Amino acid sequence: MITVAIIGNPNVGKTELFNRLTGMKQHVGNWPGVTVEKKTGTFTYRGEEIRVVDLPGTYSLTAQAADELIARNYIVDEKPDVVVDIVDGTNLERNLYLTLLLLELEANVVIALNRWDMVKERGIVIEVDKLSELLGVPVVPTVAPTGEGAEVLKEVVMKAAKEKEVRRKIVMGYGEDVERPIGVVEDAVRKDASLSGRYPPRWLAIKVLERDGQVLKLVEESPHRAEIMAAVK
Amino acid sequence: MPLAFLSEGEECDIVEVRGGRGLVQHLFDMGFTPSTRVRVLKSNPPGPMLVEIRDSRVALGKGITIKIIVNRSDGR
Repeated sequence: MITVAIIGNPNVGKTELFNRLTGMKQHVGNWPGVTVEKKTGTFTYRGEEIRVVDLPGTYSLTAQAADELIARNYIVDEKPDVVVDIVDGTNLERNLYLTLLLLELEANVVIALNRWDMVKERGIVIEVDKLSELLGVPVVPTVAPTGEGAEVLKEVVMKAAKEKEVRRKIVMGYGEDVERPIGVVEDAVRKDASLSGRYPPRWLAIKVLERDGQVLKLVEESPHRAEIMAAVK
Repeated sequence: MPLAFLSEGEECDIVEVRGGRGLVQHLFDMGFTPSTRVRVLKSNPPGPMLVEIRDSRVALGKGITIKIIVNRSDGR
């Protein structure tokens, strides 16, 4: 069975799109933060059963807040086949921050460019193909309340699930000053095969440098902890 | 000056966020980065504020608006 996680900023229409995909009637509120725990539903597409997990809305994936940690742990530990990142098309700049964090986590991302009706209404021009090319992930315009784009999204998600091994990886560079320490810590992290097998090494390195509480705990348990922490200094 | 001192309708640019690692990270995640323009939509002194930043509306508690240091965009 294919597992698909739905994620996005608060109040971008995640639960509404979740209901569109699964035919379920999860409560949709006209305010952010309705989904605090993850919810699960299923649908069948061309004979295949697909499990959909609706994650809480977050701006980020730090280890600070419970909702962010629920979302992050699910992606990191359960490794869903596809992560559908619902992006508010009328607010690309803020929404793409979470997208970049997901790409750093090496999640198999598909972007649902939601509120496509409002994008057009407001005269905003988004080059969908260009966005897809730059981020290295499929982008599907959707309108959650009418279900526009939902069928295309299902098809793209299925295709992404089957092609997850051949996905092109995009590396976001942070400039030389930051890349140098990332490289040093990443090399140290890679020495722990078990740790770097469970989590993307570059992501671990960035989180170590950010002093992420959860990742630092993982490092403490590593036999290579001394080397990794030495690399931070 | 702290964002908390601004009145409704005023605009400012963020200079810095003075807080612990967690608060700074969280506000950065929401787009409260230096030189970003902020507009005060509603303010109920000394209580919370509703601001517009990067085309989004965000409500902030008083404790937080005191820690966001800004420059009024008219230079005052």
